[in-house]
Amino acid sequence: MSIAAKNHSGWLLLPLAFGLLAALSPALSHYALEIGFRILLLVTLAEAWNLLAGYGGLVSLGTASFFGVGAYALTGLLNLTAVPLALALPLAGACAALLALLVSGAVFRLRGLYFTVGTLALAEAVRLFMINSDSFGGAIGLFLAQDPPGLRGLYLIALALLAFTTVLMTLATRSRFSILLRAVRDDEDAAAQIGVRPFRIKLIVFIVASFLTGVAGALQGLKLGAVEPYGMFGIQWTVNVLSIVIIGGQGLRAGPLAGAIFVVVLGELLADYPAVHLALTGVILIIVIRFAPQGLAGLALRRRDARGERSA
Amino acid sequence: MPNLEVVANSLVSGVLLGGVFALTALGLSITLGVMRLVNLAHGELLVGGSYLGYFLLRHTGIDPIAGLALVGAAMALLALPLQWTLIAPLAAKGMEAPMITMFGVSVILQNLFLLAFSADTRAIDTPYAARAITLGPVTVAEIYLIGFAVSVVIVLLVHLLISRTPFGRELRASSSDAAAAAAMGVDVRRVHALTFALGAACAAMGGVLLGTAFSFTPSSGGTYLLISFAVVVLGGIGNIFGTLVAGIVLGLLQSLGAVIFGDGYRDLVGLVLFLLALALRPSGIVRRAGHS
Repeated sequence: MSIAAKNHSGWLLLPLAFGLLAALSPALSHYALEIGFRILLLVTLAEAWNLLAGYGGLVSLGTASFFGVGAYALTGLLNLTAVPLALALPLAGACAALLALLVSGAVFRLRGLYFTVGTLALAEAVRLFMINSDSFGGAIGLFLAQDPPGLRGLYLIALALLAFTTVLMTLATRSRFSILLRAVRDDEDAAAQIGVRPFRIKLIVFIVASFLTGVAGALQGLKLGAVEPYGMFGIQWTVNVLSIVIIGGQGLRAGPLAGAIFVVVLGELLADYPAVHLALTGVILIIVIRFAPQGLAGLALRRRDARGERSA
Repeated sequence: MPNLEVVANSLVSGVLLGGVFALTALGLSITLGVMRLVNLAHGELLVGGSYLGYFLLRHTGIDPIAGLALVGAAMALLALPLQWTLIAPLAAKGMEAPMITMFGVSVILQNLFLLAFSADTRAIDTPYAARAITLGPVTVAEIYLIGFAVSVVIVLLVHLLISRTPFGRELRASSSDAAAAAAMGVDVRRVHALTFALGAACAAMGGVLLGTAFSFTPSSGGTYLLISFAVVVLGGIGNIFGTLVAGIVLGLLQSLGAVIFGDGYRDLVGLVLFLLALALRPSGIVRRAGHS
């Protein structure tokens, strides 16, 4: 099968899949909606992280800070202003994007791995600030003044967010921009030599990824109807997202979905043993990096290629 | 505004505590400098040292400061197989794979601590942890003074080890050019393994001192990792004197922050300082990292 034909079928299949998931929602049980919402949210977060790390080479450990800012911003917007939900969600994402813009000077100044440590420091700094500062409810947090939409409504919003993310990812990975991004990831100096502006490219993906992470955080805050710093700014969001992408396959389109299903199923199986769940996630993470650096999606691709070669 | 005496006590405590930060940062700095390894499990190795010191005291009655070398040696022995099985095989795969592997180790250790020791807040209970000592106009907890003195001695010993011994020569050679060092007959794999063990030992000994001065939980490691990183960035990688100065400066500024904004902001001040250092003073590290 040629690449063009493969892409063509993908273009048709994706909207069909989203349409089917939306049409099916009235038939889904409460539990199915709950799991569906969680998978959709995590895939969105993982897509954003994959854009940064897999395509941009920017391994972030700061997911929780943008997630939490989105959740707090949504709660604040809905409580203090008359902004409708449909507008409050993207605005909450914009707040997370603004944070990304503000710290970009610090985290981009140093290359590669210092971005990772810088974003980890940012996440911890924001978390400590939210716990200690009284202006945002301190350690107790804030309650949403209005009733959140029902679970089915939340599921549909999450589905719409993922559809939007998918379009964005398709644009980012199939366009001229994707070539610039890969050039910066693989050799920043060489890219700069031939006229690419690395800072601008990195800033764009950082802002886009932070926006998506912020909207996802807003959605989680909306679902809970309350936000508090330990949960919203907790490192577990970062751990989850990083493991999803690494286990699923870094820099591969199918990676986030494969990883999210794996992580959510594992989480459900070990729901009563959170510490065992996290420790096991760490073990799997280490094994995947060592023996399958391209993750589950990479393994599937390799198997398909091997079969293709045999039949050819 | 608190009175002058309280402020002075707090600032001196900060300086003394900074000496301990220098010790923990030194462990991170040498693994980063020699192995190019961003050891994201450094904080958990540190907390592991706190637990070792805690149980050493409880089960054998050995004073943790007297048994500090014992804890350091035990952690070094535990760290060696970790390096052999997890880090060494990834040597040819760039910096990202080992870093994420250590992130995995960090998550595993944190949850193993939780499963084995519960989420209880603990502290190594020694008579000098709470006892105050008066030095001229200021009064500080005795443990701060002991921690500072012990840390400075260990930092100087590590400095002598690196600058004056055959192992130190091999370590420096592997750090500046691993391929050339290997060509000259240096067993780089062995140097890396011992460097990792040395870094873990520094973390664990710092963990004993910090676990005596403060309480700790299974999740205390993250904050200490970031404090150590801040010190490394401020002081420059591989610069032992710089690390010592940066540790003391960070300790002082954290205490200053706690005095001005309240105790909850102590760690936040360190983190903000770290981000500022990243933004404003990146040249030292970039040049060294790019130099390799």
